[in-house]
Order: sequence, then C-alpha cells, then structure tokens
Amino acid sequence: MAKKMLLDAYHGKKTIRAPWVPYAGVHCAFLINEPADKMLQDPELLAKGIVHTARRYQADGIPLVFDLSMEAHSVGCELKWWKDNVPSVKSHPCSNKTPAEAGLQLPDKNSGRWPVLFEAARIARPQLDELDCVLMGLCCGPLTLASHLAGVRIFTDVYKHPEFASEVCQFAGELGTVAAGFYAEMGCEIIAIVDPVASQIKPETFKKYVTPHCQETIKTIHDAGLTSSFFICGNATRVMENVCTIGTHSFAIDEQMNMNFIRDMALKHKVGFGGNLKLTLALSLGLISPREDAIVSLAAGGQQGYTFSPG
Amino acid sequence: MADKLTIDVVTLDSVQCAACGYMMESIAALPDDVQEMIEYTEWSIKSEDGIARFKELGVQVLPSICIEKDVVFPSIIPQYEELIDEMARRAPNDAMKKRIASLRDVGFQFDKIEENLAKAGSGMATRTNSKVRK
Repeated sequence: MAKKMLLDAYHGKKTIRAPWVPYAGVHCAFLINEPADKMLQDPELLAKGIVHTARRYQADGIPLVFDLSMEAHSVGCELKWWKDNVPSVKSHPCSNKTPAEAGLQLPDKNSGRWPVLFEAARIARPQLDELDCVLMGLCCGPLTLASHLAGVRIFTDVYKHPEFASEVCQFAGELGTVAAGFYAEMGCEIIAIVDPVASQIKPETFKKYVTPHCQETIKTIHDAGLTSSFFICGNATRVMENVCTIGTHSFAIDEQMNMNFIRDMALKHKVGFGGNLKLTLALSLGLISPREDAIVSLAAGGQQGYTFSPG
Repeated sequence: MADKLTIDVVTLDSVQCAACGYMMESIAALPDDVQEMIEYTEWSIKSEDGIARFKELGVQVLPSICIEKDVVFPSIIPQYEELIDEMARRAPNDAMKKRIASLRDVGFQFDKIEENLAKAGSGMATRTNSKVRK
C-alpha cells in the first residue's frame, strides 16, 4: 500500500504502478457481516469496516464513507434506510421554497451523522496510516445536493426558474464547503466532490450551476494543503471538458466512459484521473471477467496520473 | 387498445445511483392526473430481468427513460414539460394525448413520491436474481 504513490497519481504525476482505490462504501458492511444501515450509524463498525476492507483489498486509499446523503441529512432531509445499500433521501425541504424560506442552516460538527464520521475517522485513521493507506473524504457535489434539497424539479428550474436554482445550488455549494472542512479536520488527505447527476445535464448548465458552486469547496481543500478530486458518474462525455477544468487536481469517472478517451483528456489538462473497473458488468454480474477488465483498464490508464478504481 | 402509457426506467440502481434516483423521481413526481395514465417500472441492470429489458429496449447508457419502448431520455434527467410533451406524443389515443397535454403547466408534485416509487418497485430488485414486479 502506498500513500505517496496515490497522492502523486491524483496530482497527475508519473507513478511506478497505478495505485488502487476501492470505493468500497457499503460493501465494507458486507465484508464484516453487518447490515449497511447499522454500520453507517455506528462509528466503531464503520471504522472496522473500512480498515478491514483496506487491508483485505490492499488499498492505497479508501473513502471513509461513500454516502451522498450525509450533507442533506445534516440539514434536515429525511432518509430511507436500506440494509444492503446507502440511505436514500426521501424528503426535499426546498421542493416549494428557497433554502432561506425553508430556514435551512449550515450544519455544525454535531449535526446529522457528522459525529459518527468524526469518531470513525478518529478510530480508523491511525490504523490506515499503519497500512500506508489514504483516508478519503467524499463531499456531495452541488447539483446532486441541490437535487436532494429541491427534488427533481431542480432539473427544470435550471431552465425555467434560474434564480431559484441558483439559490439552491449556492446553498448546496456552501454546504459542500462545510463538509470539505469537516473531512479536512478528520484527517482525510484526499477530498473529492462527488456529483453524479452532473453528467445528466448540458455543458452550459454545468458551467453555470456546478463549476461556480465547487470553487469555495476546492479552495478549502487546497488551502488545507490537501488533494482534491471531482467524481462523476454515468455517461459524462458531453461535460468532460468542464470536469477537467473545474479546478481539482484530478477526476474519476465510471464504467460507461471509454478509458482511452478519459486518459487523453486528463493528459491534455495535466490532471490525475481514476477509473474504471466495471462495477456492474464485471464486479456485480460477472458478464465479463473482472481480471481481464482490470487488465484493459490498467493498460489504457498507464502510469501517468492514473489511479485504478471501480467505475 | 392500451389505456395506459408504459414507461421503463433503466437504471444501475435508483438507491445507490443519484442520477438513477432522480430519473425515477421525475416519473414518481408527476401529478396525480398523469399517474392515472401511466404504468412505470424500474429495471436495475444489476438484475437478470433488468439486463433482459435493457437489451430488449436497445438502451445504450444508464440511466435512461423509455416511453412506449422508445429510448427518449438517455442519460438526461428530463424537465417536466419535456416529459409531458414526449408522453403526449406517444399517447395511444387522442383523448389521452389531449389530457396529458392539458397538464403541461401543472408541474411536479412531491407529496406522493415515496408511495409512487414503491408502486414502481424502485430499489426493490437490485440483486442478480431479483424478479422485477410489474
């Protein structure tokens, strides 16, 4: 396991091999034979899960959690819990009012499940240090968080009610910045903004509602001397130029993207990049061999700024 | 003649994947009058049933919304009016077409999302051997 190699790759540098990050998430719960909902609300189990997973998979880095409901829950969104999945957001306080009208306040360290994460990080961090494995913090990106706050209407509002959409995305950006500060305080050396729904919009919408509302978060990460990334899911082809120029040290994509295209985009923009072992086709379904899929990704990714990870 | 419009939402998993979740919600948040005219199902690619439907519909990217077996919103979460227009275009009869079109200015409604998602089996069939309830 190799922290420095991972940090180098995230900064777009050459490495002697591609470092490896399993975005294990609730799979950690499966590995320690606990339900996901229980692990995500119990700091000791959460720490146990990520340390066990990092050791088992010989990870160079591992996220503390991969749960994009953290920020929304900490400002009052209700959750539906699942035993084998992450919680889903089931209420949207801004579905008919702005964050100010809804009385939303930025969270503190005692809000929502942040105390669980602080305690889990306190337990896990020294054990991960011994494994030479980076603890990663993942913040919910502004558009995904705006969707949690306002519901699916946000995708209509960006065209029909741009002032409302801007207000919600502005609050989401501020909330993401608070989360980044929390992750920095927890000792996460890499902090990623994770905005999966940002692949479902046009480039001009990304430029107006995603890019500006990530800037304070990125500044917070960089001012703390830490490494930044931007994770996006789905078919992000049309917004890849926006992703590469958003200002983070690196980005990561999922299995729907072509790794040769992604590598060339990353090299052109001199940023690190991660992906894209096929989560469904190889890891979940076994329709293609995970081993051969890994070889294809590793060959395409190369050793300049590349991190091998699921997509 | 069919008296309901069929909508298939092909996803990775609407719980795990936010884009998939909001694509499902775009249908679940349609107003009651529209809900009466549609039948919709989540097909997670994690299940064998989902893979079969993915192939049958000719879906190329996830998530995608198909209306009457046409892939209409591939990797784009639709605006309300876009959804209404595409549903009206594919309505099985003129009466339904007019009725759907008349609801263009109503907008999303969020009070029955959980109930509507449950009806569509959202998040319930995400294992390899899960059977999609139709």
